[in-house]
Amino acid sequence: MAILSVDNLSIGYQTKKGMLKAVNDISFSIEQGRSLGFVGESGCGKTTIGMTLMGLLPDNASILSGNINFMEKDLCDFSEDQWRNIRGKDVAMIFQAAMNALNPVFRVGEQIAEAIVTHNPAFSKNEVNDRLKKLYNMVEIPEHRISDFPHEYSGGMKQRAIIAMALACSPKLIIADEPTTALDVIVQDQILKEIKKIQQALNMSLIFISHDIAVVAEVCEDICVMYAGQIIEKGSKREVFTSPKHPYTKTLLSSYLSLDSDENILIPDMMETPDLIDANPGCQFSCNCNCRSTECSKNAPGWIDISKTHKAFCCEQGLSRTNNG
Amino acid sequence: MAEKHTHIIELKGIIKEYHPQKSFFSKGENKIVALNNINLGIKKGEIFGLVGQSGSGKTTMGRLLVKLEEPTKGTILLNKRPVTHLAGKALNNYRSRVQMIFQDPYQSLNPHLSISETILEPLKVHKIGTIVQRREKVIHTLETVGLLPGKDYYNRYPHQLSGGQRQRVAIARAIVLEPEFVVADEPTSMLDATIAIQLFKLLTRIRKEFNMTFLFITHNLAAAKYLCDRIAVIHEGNIVEVDSTNEIIGNPQHPYTKKLIQVQPGFHFNHLS
Ligand SMILES: Nc1ncnc2c1ncn2[C@@H]1O[C@H](COP(=O)(O)OP(=O)(O)OP(=O)(O)O)[C@@H](O)[C@H]1O
Ligand SMILES: Nc1ncnc2c1ncn2[C@@H]1O[C@H](COP(=O)(O)OP(=O)(O)OP(=O)(O)O)[C@@H](O)[C@H]1O
Ligand SMILES: [Mg+2]
Ligand SMILES: [Mg+2]
Repeated sequence: MAILSVDNLSIGYQTKKGMLKAVNDISFSIEQGRSLGFVGESGCGKTTIGMTLMGLLPDNASILSGNINFMEKDLCDFSEDQWRNIRGKDVAMIFQAAMNALNPVFRVGEQIAEAIVTHNPAFSKNEVNDRLKKLYNMVEIPEHRISDFPHEYSGGMKQRAIIAMALACSPKLIIADEPTTALDVIVQDQILKEIKKIQQALNMSLIFISHDIAVVAEVCEDICVMYAGQIIEKGSKREVFTSPKHPYTKTLLSSYLSLDSDENILIPDMMETPDLIDANPGCQFSCNCNCRSTECSKNAPGWIDISKTHKAFCCEQGLSRTNNG
Repeated sequence: MAEKHTHIIELKGIIKEYHPQKSFFSKGENKIVALNNINLGIKKGEIFGLVGQSGSGKTTMGRLLVKLEEPTKGTILLNKRPVTHLAGKALNNYRSRVQMIFQDPYQSLNPHLSISETILEPLKVHKIGTIVQRREKVIHTLETVGLLPGKDYYNRYPHQLSGGQRQRVAIARAIVLEPEFVVADEPTSMLDATIAIQLFKLLTRIRKEFNMTFLFITHNLAAAKYLCDRIAVIHEGNIVEVDSTNEIIGNPQHPYTKKLIQVQPGFHFNHLS
């Protein structure tokens, strides 16, 4: 039984020029204890999905259509009071660039304690402190650093503290939005291992958002690839990354630079950016796709099943292209 | 390239120390040596990589180069002239020729300025162009960094952009004056591979077009390998190795460089389980 299932969800931002469709008819679900990764182009709607699941969309945003079922509750018509009851407690988020969000004038431990108290108002001071120490142990920051100020932490420690804060109430679902972008590879590797270890130990569900396919590949079991508001391919990590089917997924994977990429790595030309305000009714990638089908921009191509778990949102011609430059 | 190549920027014996305020917990001397005797020359028109792990002093070096901070000791030269005591007009002139793309667009973009105001600001400060010309320049620069169509971003505010879009605004702001020398501090850390590589291609193109020089700061060696002509490896405030990119990657000498190469994440389909 899925802990979260999202069906045909669309989200828009009201802008001066009209409604910007940041999330366009997406569906996915996640079982308890599983990890699901979202990858995709900058601006494709990843953070918007996370914010929606936290009930934290800004005022100019609205859910245009669709259902979100979380622990058998419909989140779409939740009131702010209802959100306050589950936010942080059942679902928590590690925000993009959260390292800077620690308040510089309060001790880090105090800030995490506050998160604990909010959802456990009955806790005694000792209970809060015990929980705080446990969290510090979990994310492997020495206890004696609890009363330090944020600027006394290194970037990696701040990021661990942010993770501790998200874990403060042992949520069932945790959303991690680019939790390691600011960190160097050594620290990044430690943090990713930490997240994975805790997620498995506590049997939490994890939605992991990143633009970096190597990072997602390290942490997640299942993958959704997004492009311009749409999910365009999904499957297990192995399926999506070893036999990508959608032309965008192929482009994304082939532009990944590693030390042994050769100099003639296939570089996609500056791709056209689909207009999210006046979005076409079909496939958003069609303006860049060399299937050259005029149909795709008018009618959504629909899902093609590659295996029981692996699916691509594409037309037959698109899938049969071996390469797209 | 021949020895004749002139250095646009030189660092001579640069030392940067910080003295954070003493606290109850840290007694005695409290000194951080962020840069320890740096000697480097960057050639005109090259893309020079500065690679090292978190806290090694990369951003500090960038901040010294754009004169946001002064070195504790040592001299920085632009086109052979020391820049230490620049003031008034001369300093203003320096600021228009040397720009920095800051590491974290969530912190470096002013939330109260719209995107157009953000990118217009340097043009205004340096009194460049008419109002109409400035507007065109801003839209053109937005499109150069891949924010298309530029008009769509003109009146938005940073909080209305995704992380990667903010990062591109920060790049646009730094290149709008067509400076001679740009410090790019992790300019693509928030961008997916496809957009990052397009931006690298763009940097290579504007380097040629305007003969711009770049200091590219990163902890991603693969990106440095792709983009840079030469690379310096920095470790705890010391430059441990400087060489052509091919030598650094193919024939690293210093143990720390070897270690850095070892820990670079690869993405190999066949390693996936
Ligand atoms: N408050 C807002 N008002 C208007 N448009 C917005 C707002 N917030 C985000 N957008 C737009 O919605 C789209 C999706 O943004 P989102 O932040 O979800 O992207 P993302 O996938 O997280 O990107 P990144 O990887 O760069 O962080 C973008 O085109 C962005 O410009
Ligand atoms: N204003 C400051 N006061 C005290 N210490 C500082 C200050 N700025 C930097 N430092 C210290 O100087 C050292 C170098 O910092 P710097 O920001 O240059 O590192 P970096 O190589 O850019 O790291 P990262 O990859 O994490 O951005 C660090 O130990 C840092 O804590
Ligand atoms: Mg985002
Ligand atoms: Mg830095």
